[in-house]
Amino acid sequence: MSEAIRLSEYPRAKRIDERQPPELRFSERAVQELERIKRHYPNKRAAMLPALWIAQREYGGHLPPEALMEVAYRLGTSYAVVEGVATFYTMYNKRPVGRVMLEVCTNLTCSICGGYEILRHLEEKLGIRAGETTPDGQFTLVEVECLNDCGNAPVMQVGNRYFGRLTPEKVDALLEELKNSEEHTVVQLADTIVQCHLSESERQDIERALAKAQAGSGGQDGQNG
Amino acid sequence: MAEQELVTIEINGIELQVPKGEMIIESAKRIGVDIPFFCYHPRLGKEQAANCRMCLVEAGTKQPDGSVRMMPKPQTSCTLPASQGLVVFTDTVAIQKARRGILEFLLINHPLDCPICDRGGECPLQNNTLFYGPGVSRFVEEKRHLPKAFPISDYVVLDRERCIHCARCTRFSQEISGDAQLEFLKRGADTMVSTFQNTEFTSRFSGNTIELCPVGALTSRVYRFRARPWDMKSQKSICTRCSNGCNIWLDYRPNRLVRVLGRENEAVNEEWTCDRGKFGHEYISSDRRLLSPLVRRDNRFVTASWVEVYQLIASRIRQAVEERGAGAVGAIGGAHLSNEEAYLLQKLMRVAVGTNNIDHRLERNQVAGGDTLLARLGVPFTQTAIADIEKAKTIFIFGADLVDEQPIVFLRARKAWFRFGAKVIIAHPEPTETELRFDEPLVLRYRAGTETTLINGLSHLILQSGRAVTDGISLEELQASLSEYTPARVAQETGVAEDALREAANLLGEGTVILCAGRVRNHPEYAVLANALVNLTLLTGNGSRGNGGLNILLPEVNSHGAADMGVLPDLLPGYVPVNDREARERIERIWKASLPAEPGLSTQGMLEAAAEGKLQVLYVIGEDIAQKYHDPELAQRALENAGFVIVQDLFLTDTAQYADVVLPAASVAEKEGTFTNTERRVQRFWKAMNPPSPDVKPDLNIFAELAVYLGKPLPVFSAEQVMEEIGQVFPAYAECCYDQMPAEGVRWMPTLTDRGK
Ligand code: SF4
Ligand code: SF4
Ligand code: FES
Ligand code: FES
Repeated sequence: MSEAIRLSEYPRAKRIDERQPPELRFSERAVQELERIKRHYPNKRAAMLPALWIAQREYGGHLPPEALMEVAYRLGTSYAVVEGVATFYTMYNKRPVGRVMLEVCTNLTCSICGGYEILRHLEEKLGIRAGETTPDGQFTLVEVECLNDCGNAPVMQVGNRYFGRLTPEKVDALLEELKNSEEHTVVQLADTIVQCHLSESERQDIERALAKAQAGSGGQDGQNG
Repeated sequence: MAEQELVTIEINGIELQVPKGEMIIESAKRIGVDIPFFCYHPRLGKEQAANCRMCLVEAGTKQPDGSVRMMPKPQTSCTLPASQGLVVFTDTVAIQKARRGILEFLLINHPLDCPICDRGGECPLQNNTLFYGPGVSRFVEEKRHLPKAFPISDYVVLDRERCIHCARCTRFSQEISGDAQLEFLKRGADTMVSTFQNTEFTSRFSGNTIELCPVGALTSRVYRFRARPWDMKSQKSICTRCSNGCNIWLDYRPNRLVRVLGRENEAVNEEWTCDRGKFGHEYISSDRRLLSPLVRRDNRFVTASWVEVYQLIASRIRQAVEERGAGAVGAIGGAHLSNEEAYLLQKLMRVAVGTNNIDHRLERNQVAGGDTLLARLGVPFTQTAIADIEKAKTIFIFGADLVDEQPIVFLRARKAWFRFGAKVIIAHPEPTETELRFDEPLVLRYRAGTETTLINGLSHLILQSGRAVTDGISLEELQASLSEYTPARVAQETGVAEDALREAANLLGEGTVILCAGRVRNHPEYAVLANALVNLTLLTGNGSRGNGGLNILLPEVNSHGAADMGVLPDLLPGYVPVNDREARERIERIWKASLPAEPGLSTQGMLEAAAEGKLQVLYVIGEDIAQKYHDPELAQRALENAGFVIVQDLFLTDTAQYADVVLPAASVAEKEGTFTNTERRVQRFWKAMNPPSPDVKPDLNIFAELAVYLGKPLPVFSAEQVMEEIGQVFPAYAECCYDQMPAEGVRWMPTLTDRGK
């Protein structure tokens, strides 16, 4: 029988009860941040992009389905809509990634200036192919399009920083540095972006609120939602 | 509404006047110019998506000097509003080329598997390609491949390869049904339609996306490979699965229903159907249908001829009447019969048998027309026309999970909010799916059982605010009777916060539509609650004018019609009390018969009597009371102890297992007639197929023939004639004669009292 006629080979689609709130894992800080960011927009759904960044940070660098559900619930929209947005943008990681993400540009300028050599070098050095993660979960290597820093080609983005005019030697040194550093990680990038969405006074507010909650800990369990 | 401003435009050299702002794709239809399209759909969206680019036209504007200044690029006519002096060309060489280009582009990743595609034969992509497309494609590379025929629910199959990304389905699910379960994932060439993580597509309106999809990407799992469009005939019909009366098409092959499609009726369902309607008519072509009359012999059913069963029934009825009087016979059923049949049933019982023991209600309260609403508002059940719900200022959904109970009314309520900005209050003791379909509605989570307190509390607040209206109601008296319902007390009793109560009271006012369903109908103290609701309706000024009003939506397809037709123990057709002598005599003159003057037994009464062995003959028509009666045990005892049980149905139901005689009835597809929906709209349905066997008869024929055997023929020969007679007996139905009935049906207007709207 034609492939098109056989339906039974697919497992039955799982059903989700939308009336059941999903499991919520945002930290108190995340809740506070989202609360404030929501106020920047005419409706809370418009806060979807920063909310996804918060989620990416809270869920350790990528967005598992549970993270999408939590964001949908907190913004009062459907799971599918959030998944649609999250999958539209490439900087939201839908699959687990390493602690640090190495995004090597191989677009026109960079490839002329040796972008592919950098990529190959990294592949060899880390023992993985572009798109893969090292077994120890340290690095994920990705090939990306123009990072808009052609003047410094070849360029690589690592978390919240660009590294340009790369040579294999520079890359080696950088790898050593990154291994032992808390800087430029995937989670840190997410946090940097979240902080960009908050004003100085909002950030102070959050600190105060958190300190207060800390002081009276065990009492109020924050304003969820 | 204000007069619409007209503008003069020109399409392909023809000058015409159209309303300002009308989309050119619509204007072109006025002069029969065909503009191909995929994503455009007038009911979707405040704005069109305009993402398929199929509807391109060239456009320009007339300059004062008479010349035309063309826009530099083709425009999408689905988003090009008519303005004074607009000049449009739909068929230039450039447009022809553009269309070929668009189609070639859309087909790049299209699998072209028309021979095994359910859309084939009625596929816009096929048709447009045939008429406007290129003959060959320059794309020779590998197409993208994705899982085919992927079932996303029990009803819907998704073939992502065929999708042309028109966004009709996703827009429907976000804007119309509001569940937003379909969404585009990824981007660019990877874009695909999906549910969240491929979980089940549980929308209650999923079937509509199948109809909306302009290709075979979303197809029906039920209709799959059953027929080709050219193999089928279609007949206009009415959905029988709830009291909304959606207009549908029955598509059938000889004697087999293959699918149900939505049929346009602006006044009722626009063009939507719910999944219960779309996939819930399979029973019509079930092989388990009854095919001939059955009689019980030696505790087994054996087939019998109609003559035999009629004679048997007639003799048992006669015997019962002679021995115990006509009161020993009773009939239950009618909510699933057409108006004509329901009318004939009660006439049969009243004239040929001589009893008022007849009832169509199976719910606990057996709410009848002759109750609070009729007395105080002048309407039996509903004040607001379905189409007027969208004009509401505030929608108050009270104790109902509307998506589930009245899906199409829900769509209107949602439209009122989504399109026209109505405020929404939802009161329900438990979280409902309906709440999820609105953005932050005001939810009043009351404790079950405190319904009356809640409503009285709201009335009290409105009275206090001084906004109350004197509309057939004395505010002083009301004030006095409600004085104890202070917000504090009501909040304490119902569990709803005082603030929420105040907020709700503020939203209630003129133009408030109150929507109630099963919970209100079945409330233990229905009469008290109904009175409270009527008070609220009156003092918010929704008694006799405007679009606001109280609506107690009904359970079954013809619950309203059965009540109108007098399938009630105490009311004759047209809500005439049986003991109102003058009115009764008027009907007696039309029927040329004398009628019993004492109210008969209600369903509950009949079942109790039967359970005690006091009912000699129990006639059950189209209702599986052993299962569906609110107290099934009582129904079962009644069926066991009744002297003689006649069951008339499509199937050998649980109730039929108790029968002495089973009569096979025709389904809605096999007969004609009318149903009256929950807003009092009388709508026709037509015969599509023949019954599965020549021994299966429409209920109408069965009643008429039975009357002959009972020696009191009811001289009618067709549903049409019955409707004419109904018009005489109940003048509100006079406009419902078949030859006069407009396509939208007739919403009969209550002249029963001086109120009503
Ligand atoms: S969607 Fe239309 S064009 Fe595509 S395979 Fe099906 S019938 Fe053919
Ligand atoms: S599945 Fe059908 S309706 Fe939905 S986007 Fe694709 S082509 Fe359009
Ligand atoms: S090509 Fe690499 S940054 Fe532009
Ligand atoms: S119909 Fe106009 S762009 Fe699709």
